[in-house]
Amino acid sequence: MTRRRILSTAAVLAVAGLLTACAGNGPGATAQGAGNGQNVRVYLADDTNIQELWQNTLIPAFTAANPGIGVDVQFDLHGANKTQTIAKLAAAEQQGKDPGIDLVEGGATEDAGPAGLLLDPAGLVSGLAGIDPKIVAAAGPGSVPYRASSVLLAYDSTKVQDPPRTLDDLLAWIKAHPGQFTYNSPKTGGSGQAFVTTVLDKFVPPDVREQMTTGYHKELEDNWQEGWRTLAALNQYVFQHGVYPNGNNGTLDLLASGQVSIIPVWSDQFLSGQQHGTIPPTVKALQISDPPLTGGATAVGIVKGTDRQDNTVKLVDFLLEPAQQQAIAQKIGGYPVISLDKLSADVQTAFGDAHPDQLRPTYFTDHKNDLNNLWDQLVPGH
Amino acid sequence: MRRRPIAGLLMAAPPVLVVAVFVGFPIGTAIAYSLGHVGGLNTTIARIARDQHTVDAWWQQTLGAYADVLADGRVLRDLLTTVAVTLVTTVVVVGLAWAIALYLRLSGSRAAQVLAAIAVIPMFIPVVIASWAILTFYAGDGFVRSLAAILGGDAPTLGYTVVCITIAMIWTQLPFATLMVTSGVQAVPTALIEAAADAGASFPRIVRSVLLPLAVVPTVIAATFTAIATLGAFTVPYFTGPNAPTMLGVDMAAYFQSYNLPQQAVVIAVVVFVIAAGIGALYVWANLRAARAAGRA
Repeated sequence: MTRRRILSTAAVLAVAGLLTACAGNGPGATAQGAGNGQNVRVYLADDTNIQELWQNTLIPAFTAANPGIGVDVQFDLHGANKTQTIAKLAAAEQQGKDPGIDLVEGGATEDAGPAGLLLDPAGLVSGLAGIDPKIVAAAGPGSVPYRASSVLLAYDSTKVQDPPRTLDDLLAWIKAHPGQFTYNSPKTGGSGQAFVTTVLDKFVPPDVREQMTTGYHKELEDNWQEGWRTLAALNQYVFQHGVYPNGNNGTLDLLASGQVSIIPVWSDQFLSGQQHGTIPPTVKALQISDPPLTGGATAVGIVKGTDRQDNTVKLVDFLLEPAQQQAIAQKIGGYPVISLDKLSADVQTAFGDAHPDQLRPTYFTDHKNDLNNLWDQLVPGH
Repeated sequence: MRRRPIAGLLMAAPPVLVVAVFVGFPIGTAIAYSLGHVGGLNTTIARIARDQHTVDAWWQQTLGAYADVLADGRVLRDLLTTVAVTLVTTVVVVGLAWAIALYLRLSGSRAAQVLAAIAVIPMFIPVVIASWAILTFYAGDGFVRSLAAILGGDAPTLGYTVVCITIAMIWTQLPFATLMVTSGVQAVPTALIEAAADAGASFPRIVRSVLLPLAVVPTVIAATFTAIATLGAFTVPYFTGPNAPTMLGVDMAAYFQSYNLPQQAVVIAVVVFVIAAGIGALYVWANLRAARAAGRA
């Protein structure tokens, strides 16, 4: 009897395991709510910290302030199905059908905007006026920036007593300490991309840089030549003579296990990593200067074919209110995008040194795609 | 027995239709897209893509995307890497599978059965998990280097190298080949082996003249499946390999997702498809040969 019970329990567990495995992480797999016809449907293609931010903080606050309007989240871990989702939006737009998504967030906004799949927020979203126009322009067409972060230099303070404080110092440090530095391949995460961008910027004139931030001018990429040579020359001094892990977490793992001593890291990932104990307290972070590592805003975009435009606009405006900006700063260490003087004193002190209003923006999205491509071509193995 | 080709065709029609609609048709549209046709079913992807080469009418073709990809030294380099990894993996996997099969066939001991069973275990471990395990095993602070350090030596760091990709590919491909080859070799009648031994044939001679000819079809099938699976691998090279050179599966994903150049990604896919089709022809030949031997064709 006992044996049979064990067997049947095992069988039930196995079936349950299979069913869980089948659930997958595709868009819609974690859709919540009963599908109220007026609910705002948000597509989040990010890490779990952003999912928690929305589901535990932003959405409860929004539904409390706007009774009757729910928010359904479609979560897509790391944006694994991003291209397919945007293709879905494009197909829906072409056929004049309901896209099934009202608001896209993060990387999806960067691709959907230039493809003409997002509504122009100017005139719709009143909160847009409170954001620095430069940050709005850098976010691209159709995008409403709602949180920002910058890339910092994380270092193991037990091994590095006198960390580099400028880009030139950093480059010299990398050469003086072979194997102790690495960054993730730029196509797999923004922290490595920011380091690459910053090295390229060293040789790009400021007026050219400005143009490449707000629009796509392929011919200007010639200015990157010298930067690529500098990056390729670093190969022999990088971890294992040129190993660049995949993903922002790949480098963090190497730092936490002591295999490297300095890496670029996202400010919010660093702060939440230290809170959760995945990054040891001996790891410190600082921003370099001349030039600083780039940062950037993450945006939301309102999908063109939405039949719930009013509620979606309401949600976007809500995100830009001081209370929510403050919550973003406290929950995930994200920089506010509105002026700091509208926020509480402790947020002002916490972010005062980081100068979120002076974030050095990254390149325009098409330039970023080219940067990913050219890095793969010109840097590793050369 | 009289052959009834019409009845046979009708019975085969449902699977043929399913394959034609769900496999053949997407391949057709993808190849059309790579040749510059951005209308019809390709409209959606064409709308978000960058740097496309397009044609205006259905009878025109452009090889622009192919020229783009071939002009990119990285793709040629990765093509060579992919072919090299595929060749090494296939040869080693088939060699190991044969060694296990022979041991099992000729010794038949308990140890041999255990070995054959262990060789199949990787089949039950998801590739993502296996890739991470293999990467950490060979990493700078992994088991191999730690063991060498304890023994006073210094082992090379294989994590993030092409060698690591090859090891992981062999690891994941071995179970299927072992099952195929083992069953093929087990099916050889004992009487034939004993007759050869009685006639004074040495062990290598028995393998060469008796076992190999009778198990050639399962061996070819094992080799073609291993080669095709390795050719299109993504997970293993993505996790365990270096940034460069890498395998074409990783390049395809990068062109599609990271550079937003789907047309060029399709071009690489067509190249892999052509190579895989070449290997597939071997498989078809082996099947035909088996059918002929059984008197079915």
